[in-house]
Amino acid sequence: MFTLGSVLDNDFKSTIEDFSFETEFSTNQLMLPNIEKPFEFAQSIIGLEKDLQENENQLMFHQQKKEERKERALIKGYKGTTTLAFIYEKGTVVAVDSRATSGQYIASQSVQKVVPVNEYMLGTLAGGAADCQFFLAHLGRICNLYELRNNEKISVAAASKLLNNILYSYRNYGLSVGSMICGYDTRGPQLYYIDSDGSRLKNSLFSVGSGSPFAYGVLDAGYRWDLSKEEALDLGRRAICAATFKDSYSGGTVKVYHIDENGWVKISDDDASELWYRYEEKEKKKK
Amino acid sequence: MDSLVGFVGKNYVLMAGDTNAGRSIMRLKEDFDKLVPVDSHKILAKSGEIGDGNQFCNLIIRNVSLYRINNETELSTKSVAHYTRRQLATAIRKNPYSVNLLLGGYDKKDQKGSLYYLDYLGSSKKINYGAQGYAALFVGSILDRFWKEDLDFEDGLELMKKCLREVEKRLIIGTRCFLIKMINSDGIAVVEKVMINSKKKNEIEEEN
Repeated sequence: MFTLGSVLDNDFKSTIEDFSFETEFSTNQLMLPNIEKPFEFAQSIIGLEKDLQENENQLMFHQQKKEERKERALIKGYKGTTTLAFIYEKGTVVAVDSRATSGQYIASQSVQKVVPVNEYMLGTLAGGAADCQFFLAHLGRICNLYELRNNEKISVAAASKLLNNILYSYRNYGLSVGSMICGYDTRGPQLYYIDSDGSRLKNSLFSVGSGSPFAYGVLDAGYRWDLSKEEALDLGRRAICAATFKDSYSGGTVKVYHIDENGWVKISDDDASELWYRYEEKEKKKK
Repeated sequence: MDSLVGFVGKNYVLMAGDTNAGRSIMRLKEDFDKLVPVDSHKILAKSGEIGDGNQFCNLIIRNVSLYRINNETELSTKSVAHYTRRQLATAIRKNPYSVNLLLGGYDKKDQKGSLYYLDYLGSSKKINYGAQGYAALFVGSILDRFWKEDLDFEDGLELMKKCLREVEKRLIIGTRCFLIKMINSDGIAVVEKVMINSKKKNEIEEEN
């Protein structure tokens, strides 16, 4: 069985280097728990609501009733967060909240939901924090190795495809990752949405998490390609603020990042509730 | 929630798919192309999970390319359908791909178009007209009633729009943007990107 140490060692000892991305994850050797039937075990402990609904119809050999599986589920994946990102004329804006909940309790109000992949690419976290953090950090390692081996910066499309392939190979094992890979490369600002069930979508704006419908509302209403930098940052901030206001699983602080040809920069970090009342004050003053 | 429609006409195959991509109730992308070209004269229309669709279609496309490189000959639509079906069938009891497909292709040898219906369970059938997804419920009867052998291109396009109009009208889940593609002896062409609004007087607007 593989341990984390041996995974990293094997990466560096790999001989098929220059134009391929052979890592422990992209071959058939997955990291699996040290038990007899790892796939069945994984299936029995995941209690992701969406899996229960979708897989009901699709997997004909999983005959268990919804309630049974829900009761036996030890791992419940809730994407209790709001993250958003959009591209516009001058770059990419990424905005996230910072609340982590475990059931009814707020576990932390200061979670880092944006993981830098490299100087011009950011990944966002939604779903299982451990899964996202690990795979995004691993993506950062692969991208670094690519740059060293090929003497050129990896494109956002390639980086997102790498992550997509890795996550696809762990498809039914109960990972919960809803990440966005945002960056700026030779093709301009780029944004990809990567999911733990293997989806990879390219679009100009995305919002992920339990608060995403609320964020979409504000985002769709104010989005244009030709926003100015100030307007774009304000739009991102307001959308997350709106989501934290409506969604109880989102809150804490609102962090906003901007990515352009010079790399990513953290723009602001404001307390979500204070921000809300600051906007209200502004509206009152206008009247 | 995906809608795919296809039928065979006189020396062409017409296929259409909606352009929505989403998760549960949310639409993530409105310009998602579900009709992927396998080679110059074949289209695989995918429906089902996005990830499975992408990876499985990539698998088929790359293997068809490999065959062409190794053997310097293009595969016929029938062969691709059989190959695809086999991949689905061997996967179903181990690691199922939740994708339902419509494979449309034009064979220069036979000077004919053909359409195949492929299922995630590994079923495959050569059909003259058919649909995948919820569209199949509404569109099946229209095609039964109006499809004829050897339809001209104009008549075919009218029939397709009739089907898509019905899908937009009756499917409670909003699918109003569709992409129509055609395969004939010249290859694959995007016919139209339509947005249908059955309440408006000018029902169908062409999008650029």
